[in-house]
Order: sequence, then structure tokens, then C-alpha cells
Amino acid sequence: MADSHAPAPTSHRAGHAEPAATGHATVRTYWIVAAVLALITAIELAALYVPGLPNVVLVVGLLLLSAAKFVLVVGVFMHLKYDSPIFRTMFVGPLLIAIGIILALMALFSAFILLPRQVL
Amino acid sequence: MATHAAFMPGVGSAEAQTGLWSWITTVDHKRIGILYGTSAFIFFLIGGIEALIMRLQLAVPDNTLVGAQRFNELFTMHGTTMVFLAIMPLSAAFFNYMVPLMIGARDVAFPRLNSLSYWIFLAGALFLHASFLVGAVPDAGWFGYANLTSPQFAPGHHIDFWMLGLQILGIASMLAGFNFIVTIINMRAPGMTLMRMPVFIWMTLVVQFLVVLAFPAITVALILLMFDRFFGTMFYVPAGGGDPLLWQHLFWIFGHPEVYILILPAMGIVSEVLPTFARKPLFGAPVVIYSGIMIGFFGFGVWSHHMFSVGLGPVADSAFSIATMLIAVPTGVKILNWIGTLWGGTVRFTAALYFSLGFIAMFTMGGLSGVMHAAPPVDLQQTDTYFVVAHFHYVLFGGSIFGLFSGMYYWWPKMFGRMLDERLGHVHFWLMLIGFNLTFFPMHYLGLIGMPRRIYTYAPDLGWNFWNLVATIGSFVIALSIAVFIANVWKTHRSGAVAGPDPWDGRTLEWAIPSPPPVYNFAAIPTVHGRDELWLQKHGDGHGGAPSPRPPVPRAEDIAAIHMPPPSYWPIVLAIAMTVMLAGLLISYTQVVVGGLATLYCMYRFAMEYHRPAAEAHS
Amino acid sequence: MSGPAAGGHGAVAVAPHDPNIGTTGLDNRKLGMWIFLGSDCMFFGALIGTYLAYKGKSLSGPGPHDVFNIPLTSLSAAVLLASSLFMVLALHDIQRNDIKHGARWLLATALFGLWFVGNQVYEFAEFVIYYDLKLWTSLFGSSFFVLTGFHGAHVTGGVIWLLLLWRLAKRGLLDARDATKVEIAGLYWHFVDIVWIAIFTVIYLIP
Repeated sequence: MADSHAPAPTSHRAGHAEPAATGHATVRTYWIVAAVLALITAIELAALYVPGLPNVVLVVGLLLLSAAKFVLVVGVFMHLKYDSPIFRTMFVGPLLIAIGIILALMALFSAFILLPRQVL
Repeated sequence: MATHAAFMPGVGSAEAQTGLWSWITTVDHKRIGILYGTSAFIFFLIGGIEALIMRLQLAVPDNTLVGAQRFNELFTMHGTTMVFLAIMPLSAAFFNYMVPLMIGARDVAFPRLNSLSYWIFLAGALFLHASFLVGAVPDAGWFGYANLTSPQFAPGHHIDFWMLGLQILGIASMLAGFNFIVTIINMRAPGMTLMRMPVFIWMTLVVQFLVVLAFPAITVALILLMFDRFFGTMFYVPAGGGDPLLWQHLFWIFGHPEVYILILPAMGIVSEVLPTFARKPLFGAPVVIYSGIMIGFFGFGVWSHHMFSVGLGPVADSAFSIATMLIAVPTGVKILNWIGTLWGGTVRFTAALYFSLGFIAMFTMGGLSGVMHAAPPVDLQQTDTYFVVAHFHYVLFGGSIFGLFSGMYYWWPKMFGRMLDERLGHVHFWLMLIGFNLTFFPMHYLGLIGMPRRIYTYAPDLGWNFWNLVATIGSFVIALSIAVFIANVWKTHRSGAVAGPDPWDGRTLEWAIPSPPPVYNFAAIPTVHGRDELWLQKHGDGHGGAPSPRPPVPRAEDIAAIHMPPPSYWPIVLAIAMTVMLAGLLISYTQVVVGGLATLYCMYRFAMEYHRPAAEAHS
Repeated sequence: MSGPAAGGHGAVAVAPHDPNIGTTGLDNRKLGMWIFLGSDCMFFGALIGTYLAYKGKSLSGPGPHDVFNIPLTSLSAAVLLASSLFMVLALHDIQRNDIKHGARWLLATALFGLWFVGNQVYEFAEFVIYYDLKLWTSLFGSSFFVLTGFHGAHVTGGVIWLLLLWRLAKRGLLDARDATKVEIAGLYWHFVDIVWIAIFTVIYLIP
């Protein structure tokens, strides 16, 4: 179903860089990804109500789950998985710098909840 | 050259437009570059006059030329003007004019957005200077440390003008940043791979990444300040649990990359000027490029070295100290490469080359004092003294300004078709070099014997009198040198020698086309075979390789078929609407709402201006 | 310096027909949008960093877990995720020149965006009225309202954008030739969604 190519506008590609060579997501993929996203969100919510779950497990688990959601949306919905590596560089580079700065600010303000205060 | 099909409908191609309206509505990158350059030079003069008044005040002890409040306003506006309204837009003038020419393109990727950037920049600059008209000039220093800016300690609109002015200027810089990154990545002539890009283009690319990634930090810092001042939050107010240090962190997360935003364009210019006048390729060009990228990347990891004196603790101090010393390595590499370029070259000592040599020498001295206060214990002695003032003037004046003047002497013939007078250029250079060192070298000494920065006067018995007087004399020598430059421009305008397309036997593509270039730049888009494409076409690679093929001579009908984007008045209208909205924060919320709606409407019209016709170009 | 022989792949001087397509074969507007999103990462990074740096440092007033309505926020998160799905479906249809369905999905995306904004307005009102947590009450109030408020403003801007595209489609002024315009609006929309994924976890869920 519905894997038809976009018409004219995107078909004029000059020379070497034909980015979307690895294929394209289908409508089916989109619905599956959406279902997975909903499921992960439900798991995240449910995890809050599990009694006796150690804090470390909860925090790390939540971060991993949301990272998975992040990657799914960026990779599939935003087509970064299928698109030119130039786009990936433009987005992932700044994202890493932003995460680094958040972590540095947390460290400078002693705000890591998993570490003892005043580690610095 | 096949169909470079209908770029956009409307005004056709080659004929030059004249008159004021044509400048207001222009989307031609060359004209926008000239607009940036002219405005920036005027602000450079304003900032310079502010500096001269400060130097007059400090010439003798217990002087009463200006009072403490006026002095605060002078150093705040001097710093803000020189950073945001002089050096950045002077660099932007070269980005605008030269980037499309050097990559073999007809314009930037988004010509109207380019025009929008300029008009927002001008609106922000005028907004900032409107503070003089209402007598509420910003007075908290160019980095506006928290508490000096809090409502409690800064009543009135002084800080509001600064805060909103910088916010407007930031929008302009970021829009230009997106535009130039896309232009450099996507508009290069066929064959110009990344490693064949001229080094100036590389440095521009790094700078634009720094702009789009560093400005969000100051945007947020200013937004928080705005909430503190207008809506009663306590982000920077200790009484409410806030931490003034947060401002310092956010500001310097922006502020340190900003330092590289100011210096890397000059480094790019020098990397073009030296090979041209030494008639040798840039020594180790890939290493110069990698060093530029490294400087940009590390630039995000060193911000706290501006804050050693607040007591961050040994771990943070050590980390930021080490990162800061590391960043000196790629910088040193570049200096060695520039010297290596001159070594064994057939050097022609033009004014442009002199300014580049001045850049290398002065910037090295500024770099050395910079490495000194990378060490926290040393920094604690030097911070907030004239030693720091000396340091950053050696990198930003001895570095950026010398580099930018080198660019002016180098590219003036390309931009205006006439050669700047070489003899006056030499006079300008020597006066500026002597005046600069007379002004700023004594400040090292003044700082070390304890003179704090930002004091409006001092007692006569502190031993500071003599060197302060020397510095003041030096500053007037600098002013004289600038007068010589203005005279040179005037003389060149009246009776300068006609330049021709390639007066320096240049190496890069901009010298392959007439001076000044036609609206469409290149009659036929060139194909690129190496970093010094024009040199390869003229002389081969110097190792017996055959010269690159020259592009075919364009036919008249090819030129007639070139379509350039037509002028548009939406950029200036949108810039005005946006400024009205933000200025409303000082006047009335009705104005904010009206301005906001007008901004939305203008954005819509801007976006829809070519919606249908542009799309129909496909069919 | 490499010799002139390395003419390479770029030697064929084919000028692209579409002025928006550059020498890399990428669309200028799409590239520009990705760079803007990278820049916006830094914007939200600074805001989230501020929130986390001030977490637990309020002098008075209710704390995050006194006021958060996690089920409501989870619903908001799900609404925004669903709108992202509608957005890709809209783009897919418009690329196939199925404007009727594309317009419908665009409208659905915008309406779900509005639903999200409505939830946020309700949430803010609840904080202000029931918990007396105002913008200036405490560091938590300030950093929370500014962070989520700017996200809400991004969503609102996106809703306006989508509604304008929908209106164009209804007027017959949008078709497959404009797919890139829909695509960059979609990129922006998904970005707003992933920012919420981050805020939802880091601000709301982590205790």
C-alpha cells in the first residue's frame, strides 16, 4: 500500500546526492510507531505507581523510555532515518551540545538528584 | 549552462536599480552587504567617540569631564556598540558581499530573509540608541551582570533598552545564521567540495554555527531578565531564592562563543589575504580549517573561565581552566600556519597585507595574555583590572578590527571598482598600530599595579597618572588613523584608480568577475577544481599540472535569461512591526498586541509573497 | 593541493530546475528548518537547564509534586503524539496529491494541537486558582511557567501555521508541488512534540 513516490517537486536531484535511497516509511509504519509511542507513554505512567521501585531504576528507566520515544519521532515521523546525513548532522550536533550544557548547568548548581549533593 | 529557470517572477535581470526605494527593497546580497558595512562603520565611529570621551575623562586624576553615571553609560554603550553594532555587522558585511561570490553563487539561499536580517539589525541598533533620546542609557556594563540589572537596583528604563535591544539584535543574527549555513552548504558551485571551500568561507560557516547555537542562550537569559523586570519573577534575585550566577552562566554560555564569532571572520580574512600577497597557497590549509572547527567546538566548553572569581570550586575551576588552555592550541596552530604561508613567498607589502601582519602580531599578544588568565590563581589577580581590558582589546581591536581593515583594503576594489590609495593606507596602518599600542599596552601595566576597570576617576597619588595620559594620547592617534581612512575612502571615491576584475592576481572566484560584480554575479556558474580555483585557472598548480579549464565566455542570450529575485518591501515592514511590538513593552500593552498582530500578518504576507508563482515554476 | 584532475562528481554543470534545490540535492528550506530546530534545541536546553538548576530551591509555595496532575499531563502527551501521527499522514496524502484527505489530517493535527493548548490552559488555571501557584510565587512557579509557557507558545504558533496551510488547501492553493512547505511545517510540529517528550519525562515524571 501507499508507498508511492512524491511527484515532481522532489524528483529533480542534482548529481551525487540522492538521499532517500534506503526507502521510505509507509503509512503502516506510521501507525505502528504511533502505537508503540502510546504504549511507552502508558508504561511511563504506570511505572510511577509501582510500589517499592527503587528511585534509580525509575529515573534511568524513564530516561531510557523517553529517549526511545524521542528517537522514534525524530527517526520515523521526521524521516531523519531515511533522509540525508546532512540533516542528521545539523540536528544531532546541536542536540548533543544542548544536552551537555544542561548537564553542566546541573553539575554547577549541584542539582543531580542521583548523586550526593556537593559532589563538586 | 542550461536553464537557470525562472528564479522568481517580476523584475527581470541585469539592469541596475537606483534610488532610495531600490535600497530599501533590495534583496541583492551585495547591496545588503554595503548596507551592513555602512551602518556598522557609523556605529564604529559612535562607539569610538564614546571611547574617546572615556579616555579624556581618565587622562588626568580627579577629572570632572563626565560624572560616574555618565561614565557607566559610556562604557556600557561602548562595549555593546563595538561588539554587536560594529564588529559583528562589519563581519556580516563581508559575509553578505563575499560568500556568494566566493562559492560561485548568484545570491544567498534566502535573499528576502537576508534583507529582513539587515532591517531587524538596524531596528535593534536604532532602538538601543533611542535610549539617548529619552535619557535612559543602559549603564550596567556590556555583560549586564545580575543584580546590577534587577528592578531593585536598576529602576527606570536604562536596562530595558539594553535588554530589548539585544533581543532584537539576536533575532537578526540568528536569521542571518540560518541563511548563511544553508547558503554555504547548499549553494556552492559544482565541484566545490567542503575541502575546496576558501578558508574565509569555512570560518564563516563555523561562525554561523556559533551564532545559531550560542544566541539561544542569551535569548533565554534575556527572557528571564525580562520576566524579572516586568512580571515580578525572582530568577536572578537572591531574596526570592534566585541565583545571580545563573545570569553569568547563561550569559557566558553565549558570551564565550561570541568571542569567536568576533574573531573567526578576521581569521578567515587573514587566511585569504596572506596567500594572495605571498603568492603561495595557505600553508597547511586543511589544518587551519580543522583548527577553526576545533575552536568553535571548544568555544562551548570554556564559558566559566569568565567566572573564576565567583568561586565555582576546584573541580569546575580545573575543568574550565584545562579546556581554556586547550583552546590555545588550535589558535597557535593557525598563527604558525600564517607565518608558514609567508615563509619563502613572493611577498607584496600592500596595506591589506600590513593589516594582516598587524593582526597576527597583535592577536598573538592578546592570546598570550589570555592564556595567562586561563589559570585561576592568576585570573584572580587580574580579573576586573585594566589588565583584562588590555587583553580583550588586543584580541578584539588588535585582532578583529585589524583583520577587518585588512579585508577592507583587500576587497574594496571588488566592491566598488576602485583601488584604495596605498600610500594613505600605509599611513593609516602605522598610525593605527602605534596608537593602538600606545593606548592599550600601558593598560597591562596599569592593571597589574591595581587599577580596576570601570572606575570613572582616580586619586592622583596612586602612580597611575602617567600611563593613563599616554593611553589617552594613544587613543587620539587611533582616531587620527581612522580620519586618514575616511580621507582615503573620500579620495578613492573621487579619483581612485580603476581596479579591473583582478587587481591583486587573486586566487578565489570573486576575482574572476567584474568589479563591482553585475547583479547576477556569474554569467555562467563556474565549475570548481580546487581551493584556489582562479589561481589554478591562471597558473596551474605550480607543480607542472595543467591549468584548470576556464569557463566558457557567456553569450548575451544566456545573460538575458538569468532571473534574479525581485525587490520586496515586506522585509522592512516586518522588521518595523516586530520592533513596534517589542518597544511596546516599554510603552503600553496595547502596542504589544497591535504590534504582535501586525507581525503575524507581515510574516504571513512575507511567506505568501511568491507562494503560487514560485510553485508554478515547476510546471 | 589536489590537482585539477579531480573534477569528480560535481563536474556536470546541471543547474537544478527548482531554485530551492541546491547543489547537494537538498531543499534549502528544509535544510534551513533543520538548522533552526538545532538552534531551538539550545533554546529549550537553556530553559530546561534553568528549571533543573533551580529544582528544589524554592523558598516557599507548593512544590512540583504537590501540584502536578500526572494523568492530565499524560493525556496531553498522548494528544500531542497523536497529532504527530496525523501530521505525517497529512504530509503523505499531500505528497500523493490527495489534497482532500491531506487537508482533513492537517485540520485534525491543528485541532489536537488546540486540545493540548486547552489542557495547558486548564492546568495553569488549576495551579493558580487551587494551589495559589503564580508566576512570581516561587522559583518553581517562575521556572515552570516560563518553560512550559514557551513550549505552549511554540505549539500555538504551530497551530496557526497548520490552520493557514489547511485554509490554503481548502482554497485550492496547496497541492503536491507544495509538499515541502507541508513537510517543514511537519518538522516543526514533530519537534514541538519531542520537546514535550523531554519535558514530560524530565519535569513531570522524574520525582
